[in-house]
Amino acid sequence: MIGIVVVSHSRALADAVVELATQMTADDGPTVSVAAGADGGLGTDATAVAEALAEAASPDGVLVLMDLGSAVMSAELAIELADLGGTEVRLSPAPLVEGLVAAVVRAAGGADLATVAREAEAALTPKQSALGEPAAAGPSDEAGGPTPPEASVTLTLVNPTGLHARPAARLATALGRLDAEVVVAANGREADGASSLELLTLGTEQGTEITVSATGPDAQRAVDTARTLVEEGFGELDAGTS
Amino acid sequence: MTQSLTQAQLVAWLGAFRDAVHEHRDHLTELDAAIGDADHGTNLTRGMDAVMALVDADDAPDTAASLLKAVGMKLVSTVGGASGPLYGTFFLRAAAAAGDAETLDAEAVLGMLRAGAEGLAARGKATVGDKTMVDALTPAVQALADAVGRGDGLPAGLRAAADAAAEGREATTPLEARKGRASYLGERSKGHTDPGAASATMLVEALADAVA
Repeated sequence: MIGIVVVSHSRALADAVVELATQMTADDGPTVSVAAGADGGLGTDATAVAEALAEAASPDGVLVLMDLGSAVMSAELAIELADLGGTEVRLSPAPLVEGLVAAVVRAAGGADLATVAREAEAALTPKQSALGEPAAAGPSDEAGGPTPPEASVTLTLVNPTGLHARPAARLATALGRLDAEVVVAANGREADGASSLELLTLGTEQGTEITVSATGPDAQRAVDTARTLVEEGFGELDAGTS
Repeated sequence: MTQSLTQAQLVAWLGAFRDAVHEHRDHLTELDAAIGDADHGTNLTRGMDAVMALVDADDAPDTAASLLKAVGMKLVSTVGGASGPLYGTFFLRAAAAAGDAETLDAEAVLGMLRAGAEGLAARGKATVGDKTMVDALTPAVQALADAVGRGDGLPAGLRAAADAAAEGREATTPLEARKGRASYLGERSKGHTDPGAASATMLVEALADAVA
């Protein structure tokens, strides 16, 4: 699993965004290390970033998310200062909050560095989509394309809010860990089942029908996993009221 | 002709730069308030105070390279704003260029300043005309290179470098900023001297003073 580093001018900002992002995953998410503030105040400190890089270093690489201004330069300098052997480090241009939330979920699903980096960069998509700008998830014209799915199921979302942030994160994390390509279709759109961001753009709510289609060695497990999570309401159903 | 920069002069340089940023702290902050976030003076005085605490300590590094490296690391961890990684990179690259040279003659000093200025420019992805520290440092290095080429001594060469830096600083006033927070202002950044070019000029002037 890749490691993640957060560079921020503010310790309070960094701690809060890490709390927000890591609550999307269970305890088995990626290591997220923080380098925030300088000399006890606001600012960024390349030596602290270098320490965070060393702490988060993983053979699978490290993704760095930054807030603004000198955070970028401090991170660039930190890569030179840190002794990381051959660890690949990528600096992400993603917005910090959206990018970190997306990256943590995708990393928890076991995606490689390039995939997590792409997910973070696309992290503004749900907000853009909600505000009426072009969405990333396209219409499902290609449904039933050249490769028919090896396993498929249509499910009705029973939890109160549909595939909103946390359910989408749970589903994407679970599906990401399987050896299967999973497409989730709803409302005439399709999303990569391992991408919490794309799942968010499906615009689902309670009662929405989703179709989960999978190919690959774990195709049946992927469909079963989705069915279980959906039927359990992603753990969001109050005991006794369902 | 072949005068060398001593360890004592290096320390004097850092001390003179600290004094300059203290003396002009409010001016730097005013310049920064006009086109940035009004923290340049404060950030640099904090950083240089931390640097001098290190330099004045009993166990201060006793070679040029180790001293300059320690200065760079200290700035990086105490300045906070963009000038931290920028000046930090300047000193770290200067340290690498100094290497284990026993004496820093004019050529070696030129190599140090050039490596520092080029490293800083690369860190900020800035070139001359972007209204940054680079507008002072690049002409300063060029002036020193010209002086060394002529066979001038270090004091004269560094004085020429300081004059060139000051000229470069003045030249930033009419420019539109293309880097850093000032660039958000676009046209409105014109008519203000760049605070980074101002502090960079102080850095070169401090060296000239220390060697005079």
